[in-house]
Amino acid sequence: MNTIWKQLGTACLALGATAGAAMADDAVDFFKGKTVNYIVATAPGGGYDSYGRLVAEYMQRNLPGSTFVVKNMPGAGHIIGTNAIYASKADGLTLGTFNTGLIYNQLINANGVKFDLSKMSWIGKAASDPRVIVIAAQSPIKSFADLTGQKTPVNFATAGLGSASYVETVMLTNSLKLPVKNLTGYNGTDDQLAMRRGEVIGSIASRSSYANFVENGYGRFIAQIGGNDKDLPQLASLVTDAKALGLINLVQSQGDISRLTAGPPGIPADRMGALIGAYKKAMEDKELQARAEKLERPVEPAYGEDVAKAIATALNQSDETKQLLAEALKSDKK
Amino acid sequence: MIDVMFRALGDLLSNPQTMGLMLIAVLIGLVVGATPGIGGRLSIALAIPFVFGMDMTQGAVFLLTMHAVNGTSGQISSIMFGVPGDGDDAATTIDGYPMAKKGEAGRALGASITASGVGGIIGAIVFAIMIPVLEPIVLAFSPAEFFLLAILGITFIAFLAGGENIFKGMIVGLFGMMLATVGMDPQTGTARFAGDNLFLWDGISLVTCVLALFAVPEMITLAVKGGSIAAISMDNVKFSYRQVFNGVLDVPRHWFLALRTSIIGALIGMVPGLGGSAAAWLCYGHAVQSSKTPERFGHGAVEGVIAPETASNAKEGGSLLPTLFFGIPGSSGMAVMMGAFLILGIQPGPAMITQHLDLVWTLIWALVVGNLIAVTFLLFITRWVAVLTFINATMLVPFIIVLVVIGAYVNEGQWENLLILVGMSMIGYALLRANWPRAPFVIGLVLGRIAEESLHKALDLWGMSFFTRPLSLVLIGMIVATIAFAIYRSRKPPAFDPTQVSA
Repeated sequence: MNTIWKQLGTACLALGATAGAAMADDAVDFFKGKTVNYIVATAPGGGYDSYGRLVAEYMQRNLPGSTFVVKNMPGAGHIIGTNAIYASKADGLTLGTFNTGLIYNQLINANGVKFDLSKMSWIGKAASDPRVIVIAAQSPIKSFADLTGQKTPVNFATAGLGSASYVETVMLTNSLKLPVKNLTGYNGTDDQLAMRRGEVIGSIASRSSYANFVENGYGRFIAQIGGNDKDLPQLASLVTDAKALGLINLVQSQGDISRLTAGPPGIPADRMGALIGAYKKAMEDKELQARAEKLERPVEPAYGEDVAKAIATALNQSDETKQLLAEALKSDKK
Repeated sequence: MIDVMFRALGDLLSNPQTMGLMLIAVLIGLVVGATPGIGGRLSIALAIPFVFGMDMTQGAVFLLTMHAVNGTSGQISSIMFGVPGDGDDAATTIDGYPMAKKGEAGRALGASITASGVGGIIGAIVFAIMIPVLEPIVLAFSPAEFFLLAILGITFIAFLAGGENIFKGMIVGLFGMMLATVGMDPQTGTARFAGDNLFLWDGISLVTCVLALFAVPEMITLAVKGGSIAAISMDNVKFSYRQVFNGVLDVPRHWFLALRTSIIGALIGMVPGLGGSAAAWLCYGHAVQSSKTPERFGHGAVEGVIAPETASNAKEGGSLLPTLFFGIPGSSGMAVMMGAFLILGIQPGPAMITQHLDLVWTLIWALVVGNLIAVTFLLFITRWVAVLTFINATMLVPFIIVLVVIGAYVNEGQWENLLILVGMSMIGYALLRANWPRAPFVIGLVLGRIAEESLHKALDLWGMSFFTRPLSLVLIGMIVATIAFAIYRSRKPPAFDPTQVSA
């Protein structure tokens, strides 16, 4: 008798386990023969596109029978593509990647934003992209102290007004009261050329985009926000003002979660499980890592819940910070 | 130096695998180039996974050849159907399509294909010569010079319209400049004339405008008129390689123009920031302005085909320079190329000259050889392609319209552009019916944007004093001279009456 119950119990357990496994398998099976649209919210070429294409290719490998199609939807500083991802059907068949800097747009309720990042289905992030203050080689400024000690303002280049690069530069230069005049409209690699010409002497940018520039001896980094490299002082260690530290923190949180992959709100949990599983296998693939390494864009992944939490933290700013953010943007307008 | 140069050529030609890859690259490049709406940038992005694991030299040669011949085939549809593949090709349409209407499609294709090849090769030579003086030249051009160059290009509008049409030309040009202000204001971040329509934030799509202004009106005209694109019957043409060959010979006939526009094109490519379409349009304007009979332009002048084609291929050689030696890409296509170079283990930067001179020469030769292969191949098939202009409109027009719609959509992947296509097509047709020039519109749209952005930057940097920079003064002198020349010429009666040919 006793043994029968035991056997029955084991059988039940086994059944339960199979059922659980079957559920996950069902979700993986769901993608068999399906086409997943992977939206890259910017034009072909460049960081988002290369990461997007890598992620799509390797996720496809890890979701047997699926086909990932990369679709570029450039425009309005990643907003068009992100709006499209957000508005798509939550069946797990539309995912995409976009600039983490859209957090700023959402924080200040910018025009055109039709998404709520806190509600999106977060699959993962592929990299960290620490920010640096970079100074042109011909400038006498050798350190952060040199920069703050400038008597007359020096020119810094930023991308178009309202872009993430612009928001970060203006926010930091204003809150740190740096003697800097920000010049806008240096898109793509225009800023690097402008530093070579000498019309601007610096920029606040992502470290990876300036790695080659500095290696070629055209410039030097004087401080860094986030990142694990120990060759530079962290900007936070050079600053004492509490408000400024808050904003540095905000910028750092952006840098930590770079090259995101997300879907619209409300993708069923089992499908999310399958997608995150495939994303994780993709990121752990040695081949993908080697390819990303060659692009000088190493992989530093995080998955699902962890990314969702990081996004929530970044969005959860005090009214004071939001105010500072808005003011930083306003006071620089002519 | 000399031995490295020829060893590179020998290595390139004697390696069957590299040559095979180049052949494939040329074919892909030509097909992508001939398809409206798909740019060379996308084709490189798509090809990147395939070059993983390729040898450094082979991968680079493969991608570069694919990119370099892209512009060579775009002109086919511009000339034959008036359907430009992108902004550069639109300049070729203005005279290429009228030539096709006169039954001279073969000659126009012969001339434009040869011009592309010549441009590509001269571009490669300019590349080689410029290596030692690259730095001072590239760094001499700042936003102040970009602004004045754009204004110089805009003054060419005066010649494009010719004679009494000068005011019509200016009105159309200003309309183009007005539309160039649609989108995000570069200085204040305000969306202008765009409201909540996000697709307008980056400005009106150039490809869509070009298709609407040139392709659609011509197709409507053709559908209304009936018959075929070539206004004369096929029996009268005696279509043969002789006509194509005649077109090929047009390039040496205008060798000085071809040389000048190739060099201008390569220089514009070298200086990042002006953009590809500017090269073709500035050179088209230059051809009209320097011609003794500018009235012929727009009605099938072969120089109007040669100038933009030499320029758009020559700029590829030019734009490779800052990409390779500064690690700063000269165009959006080159930005993608640079990513691919990194994957292949090529680290662009000044060390290229000292460490990888052999690779640099291989790439220069790849540009030359790739262009030669493309030209030979295209000239060979031209005979059959040109026959399409004799097809009856009822069969041709629907097909072309589908191609146009796909081109307008695919370029940015936004359906809203189709609305712009319809609206602008009506304007284009009205202009065509009223016999107003359409080319000034594209010049206004392309250069207006550059002019505005660089003016803001220049004023921010130097205030009004930017006008007194030495290079600025030279450019201002050129602008004044161009305007004075335009006024002088408009007082002279035209030596050629365009109305007699345009029927």
